[in-house]
Amino acid sequence: MGTNVALLIPLFPFLAFLFLLMGKKWAKPVIAGMGIVATGLSFLLTLPLVWNSAIGGPLLAWQFPWLSIEDQMVQLSVTLGPLQVLMLLIVTSVSLLVQLYSYGYMHADARFHVFYAYLSLFTCSMLGLVMSANLLQIYVFWELVGVCSFLLVGFWYTKPEAKKAAKKAFIVTRIGDIGLFIAICLIFWRVGSFEVDALAKAVSSGQLNAGWLSLVAILIFVGAVGKSGQFPLHTWLPDAMEGPTPVSALIHAATMVAAGVYLVANLFFLFAASDLAMDVVAYVGGFTALFAATIGIAQTDIKRVLAYSTVSQLGYMMLALGSAGYTAGVFHLTTHAFFKALLFLAAGAVITAFDHQQDLRQMGGLWKTHRWLGVWFLIGCLSIAGIPPFAGFFSKDEILAAVYQAGRMDLFVIGLLAAFFTAFYMFRLFFLAFAGESRGQAQTKAVPTVMMAPLAVLAVMATASGLANLPGHWFDHWLAPVSAKTGAPLWLPVVAILVSVLGMGLATMMYGVRKWDATKWAKAVPWLHQLVLRKYYVDECYQVLVVWPLKGFGWVLNGWDRFVIGGLVHLSGWFMSAFGGLGSRLQTGQAQTYALISVIGLVLLFVGLTAGRLFQ
Amino acid sequence: MTQWLNALPTLITFAPLIGLAVLLFLPQDKTRAHRMVGIAGTLPSLVLALVMFGRFDPLKQGLQWAQSIPWFDIPLGLINRQAPATKLVFNYSMGVDGLSMPLVVLTCLVATLAAIASVYVKQRTKAYYTLLLLLLVGMNGVFLSANFFLFFIFFEVTLVAAFFLIGIWGFLGREKAANHFLLYNGLGSGFLLFAMIGLLLLSGSLDYATIQQQAGGLVKQVHLLEPQQVSLVWLIFISLIVAFAIKLPMFPFHSWMLRVHVEAPTPVVMIHSGVLLKMGAYGLIRFGVGFFPGLMDRAATVLAVLGLVNILYGAILAFVETELKRVLAYSSVSHMGIILFGLVAMNEAGLKGAVFQSVSHGLISALLFFIVGSLYERTKTTELNELGGLAKPMPILSGLLLFGGMALLGLPGLSGFISEFMAFLGLFQERPVVAAVGALGLVLASAYTLRACLKTTFGPLKERFSDMADVKGWEVGSLFTLVFLIVVIGVYPAVLAYPMEQTLEVILAGIGG
Repeated sequence: MGTNVALLIPLFPFLAFLFLLMGKKWAKPVIAGMGIVATGLSFLLTLPLVWNSAIGGPLLAWQFPWLSIEDQMVQLSVTLGPLQVLMLLIVTSVSLLVQLYSYGYMHADARFHVFYAYLSLFTCSMLGLVMSANLLQIYVFWELVGVCSFLLVGFWYTKPEAKKAAKKAFIVTRIGDIGLFIAICLIFWRVGSFEVDALAKAVSSGQLNAGWLSLVAILIFVGAVGKSGQFPLHTWLPDAMEGPTPVSALIHAATMVAAGVYLVANLFFLFAASDLAMDVVAYVGGFTALFAATIGIAQTDIKRVLAYSTVSQLGYMMLALGSAGYTAGVFHLTTHAFFKALLFLAAGAVITAFDHQQDLRQMGGLWKTHRWLGVWFLIGCLSIAGIPPFAGFFSKDEILAAVYQAGRMDLFVIGLLAAFFTAFYMFRLFFLAFAGESRGQAQTKAVPTVMMAPLAVLAVMATASGLANLPGHWFDHWLAPVSAKTGAPLWLPVVAILVSVLGMGLATMMYGVRKWDATKWAKAVPWLHQLVLRKYYVDECYQVLVVWPLKGFGWVLNGWDRFVIGGLVHLSGWFMSAFGGLGSRLQTGQAQTYALISVIGLVLLFVGLTAGRLFQ
Repeated sequence: MTQWLNALPTLITFAPLIGLAVLLFLPQDKTRAHRMVGIAGTLPSLVLALVMFGRFDPLKQGLQWAQSIPWFDIPLGLINRQAPATKLVFNYSMGVDGLSMPLVVLTCLVATLAAIASVYVKQRTKAYYTLLLLLLVGMNGVFLSANFFLFFIFFEVTLVAAFFLIGIWGFLGREKAANHFLLYNGLGSGFLLFAMIGLLLLSGSLDYATIQQQAGGLVKQVHLLEPQQVSLVWLIFISLIVAFAIKLPMFPFHSWMLRVHVEAPTPVVMIHSGVLLKMGAYGLIRFGVGFFPGLMDRAATVLAVLGLVNILYGAILAFVETELKRVLAYSSVSHMGIILFGLVAMNEAGLKGAVFQSVSHGLISALLFFIVGSLYERTKTTELNELGGLAKPMPILSGLLLFGGMALLGLPGLSGFISEFMAFLGLFQERPVVAAVGALGLVLASAYTLRACLKTTFGPLKERFSDMADVKGWEVGSLFTLVFLIVVIGVYPAVLAYPMEQTLEVILAGIGG
């Protein structure tokens, strides 16, 4: 299959987007069908690419001259290596399932066609991003992904919270984007090209000095921090829960937040060339993993718990990449895409069952009425908690192994701690929603089949995708054929499982069988509980440290602009009119005055013309 | 067959006079007919400008369709007995190059759309359209003249026409706004006049080509000049910069422009923000960088800092402003700072970015003010706190506002991004620190744009807006023309970049030499 055919992959969803915008009057099956078929076609086209890549076929590449800058023809270019093909597979498959699910979830919405249009554009942007082999082009799609998530988070635009969350998502990620923007400019002047390949050549040639490399790598990482919700730019991600749940699934699993991790993975050679950058990536990732996991244990909104779990899991991926575990990070990205999509879509089904109730304190007892939903959710929980044989176990194990091999004991302990908290809050969530009796409404609603079917598929993937690396590290070899791996110690997986089981056990005791009273624990350390519940007051800090000063400064400037700069106008106006007044005062209409002035002028002229000669 | 094409610049410039002549013979009260003739009167220029775009030879350096006819001259013998042979020559010189061509097309397009948007002007339509067509003559003349004297005359024509358009058809504070407009621009003209006389004395003729040779030569040999001449050259340069800095406008000369944005009728603001401000950018590139590359280089640090101030100052004020038109006005201040960034980079990327930003911002602000005009016609207010939830009754107009906002904040794929990117890219080579600080403006841009857009269209719908009608057919046509162009330039910028390359090369050769 040629590259020209591969170019159709992002094109189908784009065409669907254009058509769907005009589809206000169409029947719902037609609207949903158009989105699903477009993404389905992309998915089908991806399959031969995966095969081609898996058997070690040639890299596909394509170029098109776009714009000349400084005698340098900037090319639109596409290169499809294993990482790109893997991402294509993840994006198309998750997006396809999400769109299928949305048919049920969004069925009653008046702007059904707009929703599918945005989903299609989102898919297209993300596909474009992963296919790009050129930094400028990556940036273009990077921003488009951002704007799509803005549109979807703010989809229910009449809700003030949705409006706020959408704005926040855009602006906070934009802060990160500036880092990427600056990095791209710097790279252009040093390397002379936007091509990733050219950058790779320049890095491997060793001509670039270490300080510059670190600077550029860290700037790029700032972009990834914004997109992938790493501390301290993570605040938009939980707020983005205001969007419809299928959107959350898409954002958290395959599109928006995956972009940051993908970027770091794609430019891994750049990071690997700078120890400082690797440290920054690893420590930010590790810190975020633990930090977000602890917030997750106290949240009461089902989607927010999952949101913090995403932040935490993305931290894991960064931790892996920063510890030279390239394949481990990408592997976790893959498994996470499936189990997180599963968890979010299942959470959407739970919300539907409780008739749009998102508060965990009002839930319970769903196991009895929605057995299958419970099973799928449980699979998701087991997978993220890292229990074999589910996918999350394998990838998390690889990450811990990578960190251990990198010799970062502090981060290794942090990783284990985060794993403990992860198991705890996930099973807390599970028990609160499914165990015991309903604490809110007694009657639960049925979940339509069109929503349940994608869950089943994702549950299979969340189980099976972990096995991709079992037969002789097949996955690792596909992604990075040359990486030489020394085996991690055998006790490592055992410890990891133990830690997870500990977390699960604690959650079971507190929320499952309710032997231990959770509220008592919270009351024992009220300040800590409050601190965690309020997400360590990061939002409040931003408000006080950034937003208010900016607004205050703005108002000061506003006064300055109105009175001082505006005053300049009056001053010059006054000057002009005074000058004019002087002129008009001369126009007295008295012939004598005019005659006098004329005489004076004449004398002056005469003196002026002759005075010079008198002294010659 | 193409004999008449030789006079293309002249034809484009004076074509609106046909419509103007027809208008003069129409009775006062035939509003509909005024409107028709007014809109039709802008079309010949637009068509000719498109012909020019199509037939423009991107591989040719220098002026195309150049025309130079001796107009009058002043024998210097009258003034200076020592040099009886020399005289000051005034030519009627017109022509177009890669720098002016995109701006002419922009001008004609925005003028036509503004004429269409003027449907909401109800009073004294005859005078209104007469002045609008006169303004178009002036604007095209400014970009198409190849002689400084001619440039000056056309420049003044735009001032007069714009003054009356603002002062008669504007909102409540229109007279004050028109006065401020005249005050500042009059001041700018004074500097321009001084610079013109200086240039005339320096090179004997005001044709761009001659000035470029003379002034360029003089400046290159600064060390050979006498101190008086050096200061004269600097004085000319500085007054040119000041004149165009007022027009752009550069901080702290921007207050007049805010008033105009708020008080002028929205179609006039479309032209004002879309084209008239760009005359400042054009002047800075053509005369500042083109005539005095050496001096520009030495003034670059000051100008870069002023550009930075423009970007951040405008952005922060736009962020706290509570009225939609003022938000857009301050955002224009901010975006003109980006043009300055591109200019002072003095490399190909930067200059390209500056021209791109001129065209792109022209399109985007025309789009946004068109929308604001349509919005005001329905809601009768542009106070952000009184608006809200408009996406429900007016999905298309709101969608377009959001699109315009995205273009304004530089979303890739739209024209605003490519211009910002090139301007910043250019400056990153020369002054990475200033550029990096300026990049903060991009974050602020998304903050103020989203704030304004979302306050207008998102959120709960206000009761009294619930039965507003969405855009009409003729509005949709005009709006989507702009949307289309913004997307085309954003997706395939070469369409704009290619024709200007040779011209920029000439300017860059001047810098490099």
